[in-house]
Amino acid sequence: MNTQDKVKINKLPTGVPGLDEIVGGGLPEFSFNIIAGAPGSGKTTLAHQFVFANAAPERPALYFTVLGESAIKMLRYQQQYTFFDPAKLPDAIRFINLSQVVLEKDLGAVLEEITKEVEKANPAVVVVDSFRTMVRKPQSDMDLQSFIQRLALFLASWQATTFLIGEYAEDELRDNPIFTVADGLFWLRQTAERNSIVRKLQIIKLRGQDSVPGLHTFRITDAGVQAFSRTFGLTARKRNPASNRRLCFGVPELDKMLDGGVREGDSVLVAGSSGTGKSVLATQFIAEGIRHGEPGIVAVFEERPEAYAERATSLGLDLETPQKDGQLTILYLRPLDLSVDETMQSILDAVQKIGAKRLVIDSLAGFEMALSPGFRADFRESLYRMIFALTGIGVTILSTVEVDESFTEFPFSTYSISFLTDDIIRLRYVSIDGQLRKIMVVIKMRGGNHAKDVREYEITSKGVVILGKRLTNYQGLISGIPVHSDRPGMPEEPSLDTGIEHKT
Amino acid sequence: MTAAPGMRDLASRLLAYEAVAAKSSEPMESPTLRVYEKVRTNLTAFAGVSAFESLAFRALMQAKSEAPELWAVQVAAGGSLQGLGEFEPQIEMDKDLAGEFPGDDGGIILIARLLGLLRLFLGEALTLSLLRNTWPGEVFDDRNSVHGRKA
Repeated sequence: MNTQDKVKINKLPTGVPGLDEIVGGGLPEFSFNIIAGAPGSGKTTLAHQFVFANAAPERPALYFTVLGESAIKMLRYQQQYTFFDPAKLPDAIRFINLSQVVLEKDLGAVLEEITKEVEKANPAVVVVDSFRTMVRKPQSDMDLQSFIQRLALFLASWQATTFLIGEYAEDELRDNPIFTVADGLFWLRQTAERNSIVRKLQIIKLRGQDSVPGLHTFRITDAGVQAFSRTFGLTARKRNPASNRRLCFGVPELDKMLDGGVREGDSVLVAGSSGTGKSVLATQFIAEGIRHGEPGIVAVFEERPEAYAERATSLGLDLETPQKDGQLTILYLRPLDLSVDETMQSILDAVQKIGAKRLVIDSLAGFEMALSPGFRADFRESLYRMIFALTGIGVTILSTVEVDESFTEFPFSTYSISFLTDDIIRLRYVSIDGQLRKIMVVIKMRGGNHAKDVREYEITSKGVVILGKRLTNYQGLISGIPVHSDRPGMPEEPSLDTGIEHKT
Repeated sequence: MTAAPGMRDLASRLLAYEAVAAKSSEPMESPTLRVYEKVRTNLTAFAGVSAFESLAFRALMQAKSEAPELWAVQVAAGGSLQGLGEFEPQIEMDKDLAGEFPGDDGGIILIARLLGLLRLFLGEALTLSLLRNTWPGEVFDDRNSVHGRKA
């Protein structure tokens, strides 16, 4: 069969930010869907968002309420959401209460009542809330199965996209006829993890469409449900081909060590202990980008944007003007109970809004601390997904990470994330000639030459400044306690690697 | 506490509208009952019999404290109203009914209380949206109000 012979399934907007991406572009038109989950998990709100996004007077939405929450109370609360438009009631959205017929009659009568209303209104959307209360009365499995099949067939033939809402526990998933008949099955979960509530959504089933698998975080705010795709909405975007363009730090000697700068689209890790100048280097990196017309984002967790910009001013770097010009956004992300996906979505939104080419995450430790405890376990995995997604579209990411200073080892990160990074720059203190001085070394640069030199640097009013030539008169510099040797000085130019990739 | 002026005004206009319509009905119906029944039909379909019964019962209790002549009125099963004929006087249909309802305050107060509860729970916008589905737009036009108040 030709592609052109195949039926085209229209995709309807879900009205839920982030959910269209998760369901593969929108909800299949005329599909018969279940929204399941425990009380308070957001089922009704999700259905309302879909209804408000799709209902129109000429093809209205019929919202059948059964036992449980009264429509009056439901609307009292639902109208607090920003998506709620009272003007849509009652022409575009009609609430119909079925409790009497459910209480007094059987499922046949319920179907008859729904049929009557659907034939009268010719709706585009039908919701039954809560379907579970409708079928709780004792009846045979055959009655129930027959009812569901007839309802699904009837509503599909009337070209209605349907949602049945029900309170289901996960162990009811098996052998339940309703789940067999459904085209789409949306499962909402809400769990308490330490002091935080974690909400997750799973598309267990969606016929005819390629939905994003896995558990997706969602949040309910005054705007309703907002979902955060595990792929951050970037699955559909093609990865940019690898670029050979180099991005400078604006620290001439460091840029030389990096053979001209880091490669565009790389993930760079700057690791060092407290006070070694990681944030200073990151600020220079972002400022240098802006100087070259590359918009940037700085995600800060440990200080406020004003303080960050002020500190840049003390280094002679102006971050105020580019913020006003839309070339720079400093994001302060410290809400403490956010999910990792939500936090990353804020970064992604900012990146996409200004077309950022450089992103600084300062720091990974602060980032982790800003997350709800329940999400910290997912931190590495989520970080990996975000870095993969962003670098794939050509954004160069510089993350700072604090490492404990050790005089017996030379760690790069406490997160075991060096595999996520293309380039690693390590800063550390060394004890030399009775002074605590600072050295810098490029540990790794994927797919490129870099200097193997250990260079001393200082933090001055101009930022990080690399001093003189490489340190040749010391042995064991990276131990932090070098031993002075009497070897003569070496040439000043940094020696580049001979193309051998450093594995860490 | 008395029914909110805005709600009294709206109730008055709805009753005035129904009084005109009632003129042609045989036997002539009570305008209060006509308004009440329309609200009942609308709300029962929308929110269910039980929800309407609860609201109507509460509205009647409030109205009775303000209009003792409603003492004989009861909310029956299903939310229908009984005993209304006991108090509602014969309306002089020759009067100009385009403005305020000329009948007794009891009917206005009862409907105003019912609409007031709806407004309390659903807000003004949604309450008016639901009523607009039942009555023509001009009933809600402030220019048709004697007081010119907003409902």
